[in-house]
Amino acid sequence: MRPSVLVVGEAVHGQLSGPSREALNVARSLAGSEGRVTGLLIGHGLAAASAEMATLGTDRVRVVEDAALTSATCSTLAAIVRAEVEGAQVSVVLLTGSVRYRELAGRLAARWDASVATGATELSPTEGGGLRVARPVFGGRATEELDLGGPRCVVALRPHAFPPASTTAPAAPVERRASPPFPTGNAPAPKVSALESTEVTGGPSLGDATIVVSGGRGLRAPENFRLVEELAASLGAAVGASRAVTDAGWRPGSYQVGQTGRSVAPQLYVAVGISGAIQHVVGMVSSRVIVAINSDAQAPIFRVADYGIVGDLFAIVPALTKEIRKVRGLS
Amino acid sequence: MEIVVLVKPVPDAESRLRPNAGGTELDGEGIKWVLSGYDESAVEQALLLKAAVPGSSVRCISFGPAPRTEEVLRASVALGCDRATWVERPVGMPADPLLCARVLREALRKYPHDLILAGKQAGDDEEGIVPSALAELLGVESFGSVVDLRWHAEEKRFRFQCVLDSGSEKVEAAGPLLIGLQQAWNDPRTATLPNILRSRKATIDRLPWSDVAPLLGAFSAGRTTSQRFRLPPPRTGARLIDYQSPEEAAEKLVKILREEAKVFP
Amino acid sequence: MPDFSLTAEQEGVRDLARKFAKTEMLPKAAEADRLGRFPEEVLRKAWELGLMNLNIPSEYGGSGLSLLDQCLIVEELAHACGGMTTSIIANCLALEPILLGGSPEQKSRVLSPFCGSYNIASFCLTEPSGGSDAGGLLTRARRDGDHYVLDGEKCFITNAPHASLYTVFATTDPALRHRGICAFYVPRSTEGVVPGKEEEKMGHRASSTSTVRFEHATVPVSQRLGAEGDGFSIAMRTLDQTRTPIGALATGIAQAAVDYASEYALKRRTFGKPIAEHQAIQIKLANMAQAVHAARLLTWQAAWTIDHGKTGTLESSIAKCFASDAAMQVADEAIQVFGGYGYMKEYPVEKLLRDAKLTQIYEGSNEIQRIVIAREHLKAYA
Repeated sequence: MRPSVLVVGEAVHGQLSGPSREALNVARSLAGSEGRVTGLLIGHGLAAASAEMATLGTDRVRVVEDAALTSATCSTLAAIVRAEVEGAQVSVVLLTGSVRYRELAGRLAARWDASVATGATELSPTEGGGLRVARPVFGGRATEELDLGGPRCVVALRPHAFPPASTTAPAAPVERRASPPFPTGNAPAPKVSALESTEVTGGPSLGDATIVVSGGRGLRAPENFRLVEELAASLGAAVGASRAVTDAGWRPGSYQVGQTGRSVAPQLYVAVGISGAIQHVVGMVSSRVIVAINSDAQAPIFRVADYGIVGDLFAIVPALTKEIRKVRGLS
Repeated sequence: MEIVVLVKPVPDAESRLRPNAGGTELDGEGIKWVLSGYDESAVEQALLLKAAVPGSSVRCISFGPAPRTEEVLRASVALGCDRATWVERPVGMPADPLLCARVLREALRKYPHDLILAGKQAGDDEEGIVPSALAELLGVESFGSVVDLRWHAEEKRFRFQCVLDSGSEKVEAAGPLLIGLQQAWNDPRTATLPNILRSRKATIDRLPWSDVAPLLGAFSAGRTTSQRFRLPPPRTGARLIDYQSPEEAAEKLVKILREEAKVFP
Repeated sequence: MPDFSLTAEQEGVRDLARKFAKTEMLPKAAEADRLGRFPEEVLRKAWELGLMNLNIPSEYGGSGLSLLDQCLIVEELAHACGGMTTSIIANCLALEPILLGGSPEQKSRVLSPFCGSYNIASFCLTEPSGGSDAGGLLTRARRDGDHYVLDGEKCFITNAPHASLYTVFATTDPALRHRGICAFYVPRSTEGVVPGKEEEKMGHRASSTSTVRFEHATVPVSQRLGAEGDGFSIAMRTLDQTRTPIGALATGIAQAAVDYASEYALKRRTFGKPIAEHQAIQIKLANMAQAVHAARLLTWQAAWTIDHGKTGTLESSIAKCFASDAAMQVADEAIQVFGGYGYMKEYPVEKLLRDAKLTQIYEGSNEIQRIVIAREHLKAYA
């Protein structure tokens, strides 16, 4: 029997997030034509996102909308999801892998004694009616495979690991629900401010981006970092940096990719002037395609990269930016 | 303020990972176990709060097998934690996150606390399930990916920032809370040599498994029917692009990325 | 059978040194070497972590480590930079005479405040006229009531420009040879104590070295260590303690050379395969690995011997002499494995050769070590 799947989606600035589209795609392939896919959105200002969700292979869409939910805490989100699932025929709950929604996995699983996995990059049904999940561990240096069983499974997907759902017709019905009362263990309830965007460049953030361009010590001076930023802009990519760059103060610590910074797994990772110390590599090795540009042919980065250009980055990177702008019709 | 920090031993980033013959676990031989980087940030945060709030004390707790669990607890004491509790997990018992959350809930009953800190995820399995599962079991609010946690005594509130995917939120909340710390934002301290020597003599409070197991109640541990590790196929090394001019290099690379790797149209 | 495994405590101590070497020393090593810069910030950090006054008992504010534990630390530090390591451990050398010759009152008066904050001390034995012939030193200590007046010049003094305290060896009468030598501790603030200008060195360039002149420097008798004429014995017993860590320092340099060469040999390709698959390179790497292994074991054995209450003169001389020769040989071969790149300053191995060279010379040249080894060795046959 095919499972019935609930996808807890997310809207960012009113639009359905990319990882939500990916989760809907996974849900539909799990449910097949017999199983039911329910999309759930929680928050405020969800008209556009819920309308889109209704066209992405769902059987129905539920919307829990309330101005107070703009910055809901994890426990509130969990209470709403539970109200939606408990008593319904839902055997798989799929979550997007965003920071906040991934935290839901632990709460829901603890409440239901459900089998649970986060950061899934592969997901398929098993013969016994459970799920087989693969997830990168140790910063992408190994993959763990788990078989999830039991009446209910909770899985948070890794962003950008799956293609997005494609549009279907006709649109599924969208049902608005009143927010259930959400009790909190703490009195008074926590006050959460509105989301403040930390991005100054206007580009995507490291965790969200499908393309990341990172710069390292090979850039030699802070003013040269703009070469990396220009290349990133031409690709619509997020900008990252090696520890050498953030330690030297050329860019803030939030740019750092690696063991002590962020782990990223975009579709394309471009390493500019990065030697490829293991501490950096563990933060980017799960990227689908890795390109390295470095003057040292012996640099370890070329061992993990798929494609490499050995040469003077000060000549190569501007030429690459120009070429990309050309093919993308930007100049 | 009574602060509890949850810590976990993880393989050092430079340890060589090798699955055993059946692929069911990673070969322990040659693995160096260290305090997870996220947990280092959590310990640092606890010590910063302790310094800021007079009369505070910090207890670190870990659930895991000998000997690595005791070692990371000693490392936490060397950093400045006042006390340590080791909940012993029998060697070979799988590290199920929900089991871990339940065990930690039982351990926490013994120690009154105003704040629970943890790394937002472990540095090895990167699951991030235990903190929020434990918060759910305890019935407390939880926030992950937190930086810059401060205590405002006059309002009796914590203030901190949550670093989310596309920005950050400022949060004010009263305790008890469970907070998952972001890694490396607070430049965790290094234990000094005298403190390392002292930590060898520190008392580690032990909770044997035989004491904890009966408390867990009916619970279907073992969510997984099997677990395997595989290593990615060794990367064969980059395909290097031949070129005469930077323009040619750029043109060839873009062509490959569009037509062969298909990473952008 | 001896047990060569380290305790959890020793592993913890070694891991701290390894982390410090990697995060604080290595990133600055190449630049400090190029500029000949003494990285004071690194020494301050080492002091904060308790990595500086390793041999001083904890009651006086030091770390109170066994010699074996000191060696574990020194090897790890030297893996990142031999020069910085020499400067970091120079306090151990300079303060050892106070531990050996000082009265309890002198120890608590000098060592506690000194070790309680960041301070540098220098060991002033060697003179321009000769280093190894310690009995023949010329710096004079003229008794004048309850004072001595010091006159003379010391050279090749590690950390001298940065030191606030000197331990000084001077003679009341050169004709008495070693029986006339006295040891003193002399604060830098003493009038007539004049450190010279920094030397430009071949290697160990992150370490600071200069002369120290004593121009009618007046030192109270209360700053003399031991009795008049005890100085030579104090100096020799000091070197018996500090010789072994030089073996560890040389082992650290040698280990770095093997590590760099092996990593390079695995990734550098010629004739269609990594050079590590060419037998000529394999034989080099095997010889290098053997030399480092032997150097480490000899060092550990010397440390163990001294930690068990023996003088260990033979063992420590063998360790120092063998390990420093091994460091030279292994660093030389590492450059050969790197080929032309190894000769370039852009790569880390040529520095290892320059740093290794000093370990054959200082704290008793290897010629002196061989004299000592032969003398101790022949005792068994006499």
